[in-house]
Amino acid sequence: MARPRLPKSTIECPDCTKASGFPLGQSEGFSRRRFMQIAGTGLVASYFADVLSPRLLQGATTAGGVYLRATAKNAIFIFLPGAPSNIDTWDLKEGAWTPSDFNPTSYDNNNVRFPQGLMPMTAAQLDKMTFVRSGLSWAAVHTLGQAWVQIARNPGGATGSIAPHIGAVVALESQINRKPTDVLPGFIALNSTGIPASGYFPASYAPFQVVPAATGLPTIAHPDGASRFSDRWSFMQQLDSARTTGALGKATLDMNDFYTQSKALMDAPNINAVFSFSTAEHTKYGATTFGDSLIVARNIVAAGKGTRFVQATLGGWDHHSGIYTKPANGVNSLYTQCAQFDPAYASLLADLSTMPGSVSGKTLLDETLVVIVAEFGRTVGVLNNQAGRDHNLRMTTVWAGGGIRGGNVIGKTDVTGGSVADFGWSGNRDIRPEDVVSTIYSALGIDYTTMRHDDPLNRGFEYVPFAKDGTYKPIDEMF
Amino acid sequence: MKQWIALAVVAPTLLLGVEKETCPFGPFDLRSPREQQASLNHQLSAVAEAVAPSGRRRSATPPAGDVSYPVSVNYIDDEIFGKMKTDGIRPAPMSSDEEFLRRVTIDLTGQIPDPATVLAFLADKSADKRAKTIDALLASDAFNDRWTMWFGDLVQNVQVSANSREFPQGRNAYYTYIHDSIKANKPYDQMVRELLGGMGDSFLAGPPNYWVRQIQPNGPIQDTYDNLAAESGRMFLGMPMQCISCHNGLGHLDQVNLYLKGHARYDFWGNASFFSRGRFAKSDKNVNNSSYVITEATTGSYQLNTTSGNKTARAPIGTQTTVSPSFLMTGETPRAGEAWRDAYGRMLTANPQFSLAAVNYLWQQMFGLAIVEPANNMDPTRYDPNNLPAGQTVQPNHPALLTRLGSDFTANHYDLRAILRTMAMSNAYQLSTQYTASTWNESWTPYYARHIPRRLMAEALLDAVAKSTSAPITYTVSGGLPAVTSAMKLPDTLEVRGNVYGRFLDEFGRGNRDDEPRENDSSIAQALSLMNDGTVVVNRTHRATANSTVAKVLASTTDPNSIADQLYLNTLSRYPTASEKAQAVAYLKSGTLANKTEDLQWVLLNSLEFLFD
Repeated sequence: MARPRLPKSTIECPDCTKASGFPLGQSEGFSRRRFMQIAGTGLVASYFADVLSPRLLQGATTAGGVYLRATAKNAIFIFLPGAPSNIDTWDLKEGAWTPSDFNPTSYDNNNVRFPQGLMPMTAAQLDKMTFVRSGLSWAAVHTLGQAWVQIARNPGGATGSIAPHIGAVVALESQINRKPTDVLPGFIALNSTGIPASGYFPASYAPFQVVPAATGLPTIAHPDGASRFSDRWSFMQQLDSARTTGALGKATLDMNDFYTQSKALMDAPNINAVFSFSTAEHTKYGATTFGDSLIVARNIVAAGKGTRFVQATLGGWDHHSGIYTKPANGVNSLYTQCAQFDPAYASLLADLSTMPGSVSGKTLLDETLVVIVAEFGRTVGVLNNQAGRDHNLRMTTVWAGGGIRGGNVIGKTDVTGGSVADFGWSGNRDIRPEDVVSTIYSALGIDYTTMRHDDPLNRGFEYVPFAKDGTYKPIDEMF
Repeated sequence: MKQWIALAVVAPTLLLGVEKETCPFGPFDLRSPREQQASLNHQLSAVAEAVAPSGRRRSATPPAGDVSYPVSVNYIDDEIFGKMKTDGIRPAPMSSDEEFLRRVTIDLTGQIPDPATVLAFLADKSADKRAKTIDALLASDAFNDRWTMWFGDLVQNVQVSANSREFPQGRNAYYTYIHDSIKANKPYDQMVRELLGGMGDSFLAGPPNYWVRQIQPNGPIQDTYDNLAAESGRMFLGMPMQCISCHNGLGHLDQVNLYLKGHARYDFWGNASFFSRGRFAKSDKNVNNSSYVITEATTGSYQLNTTSGNKTARAPIGTQTTVSPSFLMTGETPRAGEAWRDAYGRMLTANPQFSLAAVNYLWQQMFGLAIVEPANNMDPTRYDPNNLPAGQTVQPNHPALLTRLGSDFTANHYDLRAILRTMAMSNAYQLSTQYTASTWNESWTPYYARHIPRRLMAEALLDAVAKSTSAPITYTVSGGLPAVTSAMKLPDTLEVRGNVYGRFLDEFGRGNRDDEPRENDSSIAQALSLMNDGTVVVNRTHRATANSTVAKVLASTTDPNSIADQLYLNTLSRYPTASEKAQAVAYLKSGTLANKTEDLQWVLLNSLEFLFD
């Protein structure tokens, strides 16, 4: 289902056409209606800045005529920095190196060989999962590659320094659809400190950072109790007259708005239950912080309180040495990492697939795109002289839910897993992080060819650089 | 100004094979400056000020029926008030002593004033007490911390970034160098020359880390040279030189920077070539996290021989396979025997744009809105209102002021304290935030007709919470520096991670000196932390917290009037107004005094006046 087209521009904006390279008539412009919608969000600030400063432009243009899947309401972005070995996991290549207890097993009429012994619970969810094996990273440097997949562009590139996290883009795009009951931020990041944030967007679109705890959010409740808070809040409203007079200026009123929103969040019934979990659930998801993150991610999308993008992060995959070392105190190997990953991820898919969605007949998994991404892959074949695997650009991404057909494989690598034998999609080339993000945007109904004209560099901010030129596109074969 | 622009030698634009209408290379986006977003946010918060009702005033005398202007104490006032007079704009009243003292203390030192300092200042009846205060702040240790943070943000001194690794030891060496230089009042131009020509071991000396910070790990050495040159342009000239490092900026530079549009990638290579005799090597190649050693060779140049990396190909031009150093803004070349990087530093710091960029940054720090925004995208072709390219607008909101500030900074040998003193001394700086002359009109913001309030930067706010509650925080620092008791003393914005204080600093937008610029806008997370974070805020309001302001106040008195006075003084650096005091006293009397005292402390910590400067 294509996204409804916005009306044509009613605000003359000749610079937009220059910057984006196509005539105004062929592009979607910045409508008055759109402005009024945006005016209710934090973007109003940049709009007025535009009016006062001709150097800044407003609005956004798109390539037009783009087919958007719009099959997902939410996305859960599972990030595995450090980069797991693909040929030991999602793109299993069996060799003399393969530990026997990986128990490689065929699934789906030999379509998939999977290390059942390493991830037994995930193996039971393969029917919901699609592997995209013709992925290729741009950079074999951790920090560079990590930023790249989270901002959909070269961090050292022209707009790398101003780029928001893709979750912030989702939050901004979903802002106009928020309801009064949507008290949660659009983008929540679980156990993901240090990730890119709102870039040049207002801070309200930055990830709301949460480190999961059984008792929920650390700052959602007032530590001195509800009664004391009530007294304090009332007295604050009375004494701090600048909150109502605006005598200290608009920036202070913006802050006051966030106080009001925070109060609404605190007052929302059972909101902390979204961020809390029981011992039984903690155990079921593997009794790890990552498991806790996915419990909370599940709860967030189930709550339907305005969050559209959830990131959960599990680092520790940088196995340059001892990748197959058996679990023991202090050991970090594929065994220990997968022991954290497996129960959490498998429980998430299992739970989402049995929970009702917001639309009758749909499950929560139907409405939630769950994607696993790392910054790159690892070297193939025999292990290095440290019994590990080093950085390698070839990588697999793993997809489920949100309109993705499960039990599918896109792309085929050669016998080693180091190169591609069949790209497996209409692009007929390597699938880049930009394609991955285009796919996420398309599934969520966000036009990945969008170029905003409110960026401080005044060169146009593309959601996915070069997508409007057709350089990148969604992996439509998955849907 | 026209003269020096005219001096610029525009090298002939060479037609390179990569020129196309649109950016031709999909995977590798154009490189460009790591812009500091702070400038934009200042602009957004400032320019977007609503038509706010004029507020209750607690300061100064109301203006007379006719428009009156403060006296001019220096050229800043001549320019600011002169333009306002010309255009018939009324200024806000002068700040009260309390408002002035808090603002200038935060702006110059990142700290709120001590209560004793407030009282002494209010009691001082001498005519030059504001000047004396400014001089005392300029001489304080806290000044060194606050402006080391500023310079560290400017050069993005950080232990790890997406591209580079200084490591904590290198970051510390850089931090120590900057702090020592600020403390010694080393001229700003000298600091920049020392960075650009930096030599030695990056763990032992600060300047080599300028180079280390720009190492590009996923490309040829020319990518690193390009970073070194481009970032020097962004940081020290306020110009996004990276725009022309790939394809002459075709297709978009019209909108970005007309000055740079007049230059070509070949010119940029001439700039980058100054770095092509620099050499870097791991001090111990067997150790992953060893330092780098930066040296300067006497031979070598910028080779046109790359086909991969982060830039379009660098191919020979006819038979020319190398590019010699030539300064982009003037065409100057190194003197005989002069080390190329030293030559670059000499030329860059001698260019008028160097001074203009610096004063624009400093003005932004003091006044909340730079004269040219964004401050790192200055366009010299758009400075002169009498000599504008067709169809273009003047970029500075006050061109003459920018020029005079730049000349002053140069004439005073790039003395940071001197130029900051001139700004702080001006009556333009000392205007009130509160506008009472009439209903505020947002179009008056670029006139600086009122002080533009800004949320305190992350470190300043955390320090203010700790100081006002008399409950200091100790932060451990990695890489061998001793622990510190002020967030403003942290050597980069990645220190203090994984605890509530780190979370607080992140929430308040300290950024990462890489792809997350420092920000001063607001968020739900900020409000939640200010209201509900037990460790950072709420526990500090408790009488049970030993030596907290509340504990000390309650130990000293049971008089609600005195309690209100003391809490206001410690937190907002002023006494309450009569109305505020009446409300506070009534509240304190409405229940258990100790509880109500804690409540008042909490309310003051959450007041907008506390959060903004």
